[in-house]
Amino acid sequence: MSIKERIKALVKEAELYQSQSLLNQSREKYLELLKLAENDESISKNKKLLNDIKSRIRAVDDEITEIEEADKKSPELTEEVQNLISSLFSFSQNQATAAIEGAVALAKFGQYDKAVKELERLVKEGPIPLQAAINLLRCHLSLDSPEVAINQYKRWESREELGKGDLKYLHKFLDDHFKKKGIDIQVSEKDLGVSEKKEAEEKSDDLIDLSSIGIQFSEGKFKDKAVEFDVSFQSGNTVSIIIPPTKKDLAEAFKKGLRLPNIQCTSTIAIFNGSGVVSGKSNITTGPKRGSFSIDIIIDGK
Amino acid sequence: MAIFNAKDRVIECKIVYYGPGRCGKTTNLEHIFKAGKKYTKSDMVSINTKGDRTLFFDFLPIGLGKIRGCDVKLQLYTVPGQQKYGSTRKLVLKNVDGLVFVADSLEVRREANILSLKDLQENLAEQNMDMSQMPLVLQYNKRDLADDGIPILPIEVMDKDLNSKLKAPYFEASAFKGKGVGETLKKSIQITLTYLNKKLKWSQ
Repeated sequence: MSIKERIKALVKEAELYQSQSLLNQSREKYLELLKLAENDESISKNKKLLNDIKSRIRAVDDEITEIEEADKKSPELTEEVQNLISSLFSFSQNQATAAIEGAVALAKFGQYDKAVKELERLVKEGPIPLQAAINLLRCHLSLDSPEVAINQYKRWESREELGKGDLKYLHKFLDDHFKKKGIDIQVSEKDLGVSEKKEAEEKSDDLIDLSSIGIQFSEGKFKDKAVEFDVSFQSGNTVSIIIPPTKKDLAEAFKKGLRLPNIQCTSTIAIFNGSGVVSGKSNITTGPKRGSFSIDIIIDGK
Repeated sequence: MAIFNAKDRVIECKIVYYGPGRCGKTTNLEHIFKAGKKYTKSDMVSINTKGDRTLFFDFLPIGLGKIRGCDVKLQLYTVPGQQKYGSTRKLVLKNVDGLVFVADSLEVRREANILSLKDLQENLAEQNMDMSQMPLVLQYNKRDLADDGIPILPIEVMDKDLNSKLKAPYFEASAFKGKGVGETLKKSIQITLTYLNKKLKWSQ
């Protein structure tokens, strides 16, 4: 293949990848092309061609930047699509649980405003207000709005919208969250009565809401060491924990599929031993926790 | 798992198109939507972001009419292929009945195909599902690009990379031109309904 044919082929490839939004691949081909042109004695004198290649690389870079910027924001979807998400991603046969699943799905798809409205409605009107309330607080906390979560709690407290047992449970949930995060916020508590604890216990389905988990590693670099983590998010039996970038070696110990036979699970109402498996690991690329690692663990043994 | 209403004899099942980013999953659904408008009363829902990349999922409901005395309703989904949307893929995969893995024939996407298939296997395992036991069809997409002189992977290489253990049915396709899309879907529906019949005994 002559140099001209080689150049034509590379341009064709780079253009095609760009048209398919395979931008990194397109960039690589343009760079290969630039190198080829610069290293060829006759072509390297053709400044117009070299400038054209460089300008194409810049255009691809601009497109990559635009996409990265667009990815930082979750678009607000139409109400129709939001309703569709709620209905498609609520799987439970139980209507009350399905309604909460639908609202949680909205939050997972970044539709926080709608999720908050729906959860607020479910707290007021739904048959399992405690579950709705916990997920509503989680929504606020995942948006890094602790004050909003506290104000919400206070509203429930002052309007007596929830039972004393539920309020006690929610108070402990917030208190634990702030303590673990090292956030110095005191949540006021009226006379809630300890005897109501059972009421809260009875309302929780599935795995109860965990505030933290202590993991004792059975293999690898951290073998026999126990590390405690806050639960940043929970959906059913899957909990998510966040590991800061400064503890990269700890994050690396959590390989997908790793069995964790010794997990101490702490909730506001009980501490119990369980086991689980690492089901996912991802880097957080945007927001205040950027650079941290998110680890998903399925708790499968209680 | 599919919903089977034995009283009204209606079965609703979910087929998910999986694969690496930009492999042509959405293009498959778009072609199905255009070609099969008479089967669907609803529009196709696509939630895209910059560069026409799927942000959350695509969704296309289709009514297949009566099959063996049962009204068969299909829900076709795509997942976002980009690696960073792992949690969305897991959510979309929930309760899946059948799978179409769309692999990109471009040479430069060889590793992306392998990683995406591995990701699918792991996400299914989290739901206690074994990919090798699932109704799965592979589609080797973008075959037409060879005509333009773009380097693509030979079928044998793709089959060795992705299908040596699975031994799933596969189809060559050019979703952009609509080629191979119908065959892929037809096979997927066929093996998914057979699989569901073993589990739910929906057919008369």
